Amino acid sequence: MATEVLWWIFAAAIVGASAGVVFSRSVLHAAIFLIGSMAGVGAMYVFLTVEFLALVQFLIYGGAVTVLILLALMLTRRDAAGRPEPVNGPQLPFALLLGISLVTILVAVALDTAWGDSGEGPANIAIETISERMFTGFGVPFVLSSVLLLVALIGAIILARQEEGE
Amino acid sequence: MVPLENYLVLSAVMFSLGVYGVLARRNAVLILMSVELMLNAVSINFVAFAAYLDPDKVLGAIFAVFIITVAAAEVGLALAIVIRLFRNRATSNVDEAASMKW
Repeated sequence: MATEVLWWIFAAAIVGASAGVVFSRSVLHAAIFLIGSMAGVGAMYVFLTVEFLALVQFLIYGGAVTVLILLALMLTRRDAAGRPEPVNGPQLPFALLLGISLVTILVAVALDTAWGDSGEGPANIAIETISERMFTGFGVPFVLSSVLLLVALIGAIILARQEEGE
Repeated sequence: MVPLENYLVLSAVMFSLGVYGVLARRNAVLILMSVELMLNAVSINFVAFAAYLDPDKVLGAIFAVFIITVAAAEVGLALAIVIRLFRNRATSNVDEAASMKW
């Protein structure tokens, strides 16, 4: 029972923080809401008993990604006086329409489908199971993803570096 | 016990908020943050399906690990592009960077 109450609290926090990300008028407030949203997703992984993913989520999203985003926001503020620039474009009504219709369809499908779960709740996914399957069945994608990270790192440095004569 | 549908509805709401953010916002960094929301919603879905339905119990978690890896690479590259755009055009609004628009 306590789990359900906690789950609803965290779900409400995630939805509230995500709404804050997309509706807030200030870019910095949006980035701080994003930290809350990502931490809430980490809590969802705890509810799903995948502690390894929860840890990775807190470390990478709650730490690294949000710090990077905050840094980029502060580097690209147009107005040093802090005057808020318009954050929403002219296509806002269409975005609202698409978002509302998408959530209606997705929720209807999720509730109408008979998923056929056993009714015994989430099964524990141990870190040993993840690593065994990762290194036996997904060896090549694992190596490829490390190459991808390296290429992205070098590419980001080349893109963001100050060239001579600039 | 929390039923599977709760996770699906939560992730549907989060994904739609992300879609709204991608379409409505002008600032490139805000669009990137909305994309992160969508990626996380998909991760919740993957892990929920793995924990509730998959007899193997692990494939969805592995997919979530790969999503997090690719999202980290994507954030690094996208922010480098935004910083470069800001240096060349003194703006980070996507509708002002339209010189390749036909």
